[in-house]
Amino acid sequence: MFDFSYRFQWAQAMRHLPRMLEGALVTLEIAILSLVVGIAIAVLLAVARDSKYIWLRAPATAWVEVARNTPALFQIYMAHFGLGSFGIYLSPYTALLAGIAFNNAGYLAETFRGALRAIPETQTRAGRSLGMGQAQTFRLIVMPQMFRVAFLPTTNQMVWAILMTSLGVTVGMATDLTGIVQNLNARTFRTFELFAIAAVLYYLIAKTVMLGAQLIAWRLFRY
Amino acid sequence: MKHTYVLAAALGLSLAAGAAQADKLDDIISSGVLRCAVTLDFPPMGSRDDNNAPIGFDVDYCNDLAEALGVRAEIVDTPFPDRIPALVSGRADIGVASTSDTLERAKTVGFSIPYFAFTNVVLTRDDTGIEAFEDLQGRNVGSVAGVFEALALEEQMDEWGGGTFRPYQSQADVFLALSQGQIEATVVTSTVASAIVESGNFPNLVIGSEAPFGIDYVGIIAMRQEYGLINYLNLFVNQQVRTGRYAELYEKWLGGATPPDLTVRGVYY
Repeated sequence: MFDFSYRFQWAQAMRHLPRMLEGALVTLEIAILSLVVGIAIAVLLAVARDSKYIWLRAPATAWVEVARNTPALFQIYMAHFGLGSFGIYLSPYTALLAGIAFNNAGYLAETFRGALRAIPETQTRAGRSLGMGQAQTFRLIVMPQMFRVAFLPTTNQMVWAILMTSLGVTVGMATDLTGIVQNLNARTFRTFELFAIAAVLYYLIAKTVMLGAQLIAWRLFRY
Repeated sequence: MKHTYVLAAALGLSLAAGAAQADKLDDIISSGVLRCAVTLDFPPMGSRDDNNAPIGFDVDYCNDLAEALGVRAEIVDTPFPDRIPALVSGRADIGVASTSDTLERAKTVGFSIPYFAFTNVVLTRDDTGIEAFEDLQGRNVGSVAGVFEALALEEQMDEWGGGTFRPYQSQADVFLALSQGQIEATVVTSTVASAIVESGNFPNLVIGSEAPFGIDYVGIIAMRQEYGLINYLNLFVNQQVRTGRYAELYEKWLGGATPPDLTVRGVYY
């Protein structure tokens, strides 16, 4: 039963909005960086998984399997405490970024592989017959089409990446939105007000990123 | 006859009004259960024994209170950040969870008079060369998110500039980070520090000097408007000291030295 004698004090929580917005910027920064890194690695993984060489296929498959079938929380925790036990110290920021990028790469690799399957083999052959090299064909003919096919599922992963940044608190992340809200909560005990504002901010960040992605898509994918 | 009806009606009305005004203290007594939010990741105040049963100073304190009220105690395991949600959502009636009584927090939640007091010490590894509190300047330090010493340490690090402060989710994570080398030192309550060093789980940890944060008084928390309950809690805390039970519990869980004085000289609470 919720105790309705609790009075919401929004003004008390709103005083801290500037700090929360600073945190939102850090969250946005980590999400975007993790996507850029994730997409770059995912393209390599997608190609490697369909390679005829086992030494390319095996590590790529292992990466995708681990990234997709273990919790993101575990991946981030391992980047910080797991590597830490081998004397490799990633700061909370780096560990969070690495964990999410690792996760993004695993998921997006499969998305891209699916998209590659949707592009007819004749496209490659047409490119090659025009005198393009193998890499050139992939870069100029296949990859742009792959991104177009994979665009919508990729935006899913974008939103997911933003929400995953909130797992940073498990490795001592203090400067992102969740980290800052947690600190404010401890100081003021205005849990409900602060978390409600944070939820709205996460929604707005996700919407902003989606809008940005759509603008990029509109610029890139027109015929 | 007519009088009887009027009287009965008046009695009925007053009973109904009485029921509507029943406060939390009445609710606890009539439900027969006192639900205490206790943080079970904070030995020796709260932790779990080998059979996973809650034990610790705070647990015993809750049991004593339940006994005084003539009800059964129920321990609700509550991490530090969840203490207020636990109260407001009605999962717990009170919080016996070493809650520092800051003025900022008292705007949201009601505090009893202090039932315990902590002092804080520097805890570090034997290879960092850290001894005094001032040695923490420019270092990587960490603590449990949201506890008194974490807030104080973070403020001090901000003031010094340089170095980083990392808030971890649990005391266990802080010790893990410290023993691995992710952070170089932490500031913890002296009770936790001696408990962890004595446990032998982290042989490379050593206790440095005291942290100049002042005495960290902690109170029992309840919904702010439950004056009846908070009044009762105040008297209960007083009685615990008066009857010697406070000293007894201190001896049982912390041992050795005399229990900390819960009064502040020269002023009434």
